[in-house]
Amino acid sequence: MIEIRDLHKSYSTGHGTVEVLKGIDLTIEQGTITAVVGPSGAGKTTLSHCISLLEKPTSGQVLVDGRDLSALSGHALRSERRAIGTIFQHSALLRRMTVAENVALPLRNLGVVHRQMEDRVAELLERVGLLHKASAYPGQLSGGQKQRVGIARALALRPRILLSDESTSGLDPESTQQILDLLDDVRTELGLSVILITHEMDVVRHVANHVAVLSGGRVSEYGPIGALVADPASGAGRQLLPVRALPLPAGFDYALSVSYRHGPVDPEWMTRLSTGLDVRVALLGGSVEAHGDSVLGRAEIGVAGRPAAEVRAYLERLGLVPDRRAAVSSAATVHTRAATAPPSDDAEHEADQKIEVRA
Amino acid sequence: MKPAETAAVGLDTPWADLPALLLPAYGETWAMVGIVMALVILVGGATGVLLYNTDSRGLFPRPRLHGVVSWLVNMGRSLPFLVLMAAIIPLTKWVTGTTIGIAAAVVPMTLAGIPFFARLVQNALNDLPRENMAVGLVTGSSTGQIIRQTQLREALPGLTSAITLNTISMIEYSAIAGTIGAGGIGYLAVTYGYQRFDTHVMAATIVVLIITVQLVQFAGDRISRALLRP
Repeated sequence: MIEIRDLHKSYSTGHGTVEVLKGIDLTIEQGTITAVVGPSGAGKTTLSHCISLLEKPTSGQVLVDGRDLSALSGHALRSERRAIGTIFQHSALLRRMTVAENVALPLRNLGVVHRQMEDRVAELLERVGLLHKASAYPGQLSGGQKQRVGIARALALRPRILLSDESTSGLDPESTQQILDLLDDVRTELGLSVILITHEMDVVRHVANHVAVLSGGRVSEYGPIGALVADPASGAGRQLLPVRALPLPAGFDYALSVSYRHGPVDPEWMTRLSTGLDVRVALLGGSVEAHGDSVLGRAEIGVAGRPAAEVRAYLERLGLVPDRRAAVSSAATVHTRAATAPPSDDAEHEADQKIEVRA
Repeated sequence: MKPAETAAVGLDTPWADLPALLLPAYGETWAMVGIVMALVILVGGATGVLLYNTDSRGLFPRPRLHGVVSWLVNMGRSLPFLVLMAAIIPLTKWVTGTTIGIAAAVVPMTLAGIPFFARLVQNALNDLPRENMAVGLVTGSSTGQIIRQTQLREALPGLTSAITLNTISMIEYSAIAGTIGAGGIGYLAVTYGYQRFDTHVMAATIVVLIITVQLVQFAGDRISRALLRP
């Protein structure tokens, strides 16, 4: 388990002090994956460096199984930091060492005897499916393969915590998925706590248990993925499961955003709503998928025939959470569009949306 | 006409006698360059590693120490070799007990070579990916392990190019040191070729120097390329 307590980090620049982290509190339970997401400049890299103990926090603590590692230095720091395995962006393999030598590096520097080291390296490479590349050089591997070697190296010293610092950035979707699946597998097998630092929010929802959104040096949202997606007011939820809705068609009164509650949802809810309340319902956009044992889902619907309050109440009975914000009526949509954008831009915008829908 | 021509030609060492003159001198040149390069690689290499790692993004940032070392290196690099050689004659005499010969040439050559090589090493290390150091740190490696594995070993192709460049500079400096009677090819060129108008010796030393530099560069490039990994 890793606990981050009231973590502050400031840098002094020529123009004074810049506070990058303004009090981060996070607890990552053993055997779970927590994704730390946020835009660039939010402090993700600094937080990552504080967790991997590459930088000392200005104040606050990084506790691994109750021990404050951020206070250590010298030899104690060297030996204790091995509890944290780090996977870097672009894998950071040493180019003049073979794959096997790269994975062996942490073992060799710890003084593991040669025979044991060979066995362990083979076991690790087998685990990431790259035993056949043991004597290849990093330059001969694809991005995804390099990153798998990076994972093997991070696991070499049997860490309790795995820190992935943007390890999937720049990888193609297939490799990204492979890396995330691998992280999920080793988490389960070895009971690791995994911290996934990333700016790609929608890729983490399959593997992460919790999400912490970093913005402006603070954790602005934190919770289990299911809870964030189930909350229509959550910005993180909207980014985790994005819905690109169509504009409200003519003949409908207003649009409503709904999220699937964290719990059972009637799969026939649209039919139920339509017949039960005698309203017309149009699906404008939506995404529904399995997440472990539960379901993640968000949708945007157009409704005609009944007032929004009545529809909302009915949806809640079906297991959905309607957005509490005011329903967008078609008249209002037209009005705001006319007020904010010149007509030519508007036409372009709609054309874009049509293309997206067809694609 | 004929006697005059013979007299002019007579100043030149006969072609057949050149090897006897050139070979020992060539050996002396390599002895000087060899001793100097051994010292330069050791001291200059260590200085380069120190410059890189005391920098703000290095392994043990020490801005003050970095500033002092950097200033000293610039000092050593700012004097033309001929001026440096003349200026440190008292030091040379104190160290070697003489102001002429190979021993006396080694002192200014080493002093000029160290700061040059230090900068070359620093540049070679600067070309490495910044994450290398982080990799060393998070895997719990010691400072020595990080310098050896993630810095020097990874920079070997660049360091080989640095040694090649430095060796060629030292061959050039050994020729300049010839003016203070250092021996070697440079001494031959100055005493026979320049002072005695011996065209044959002049031509031969030029040819030997050109071939030597070409060969050193060729070998350096080959080794450097062989050290690169795919």
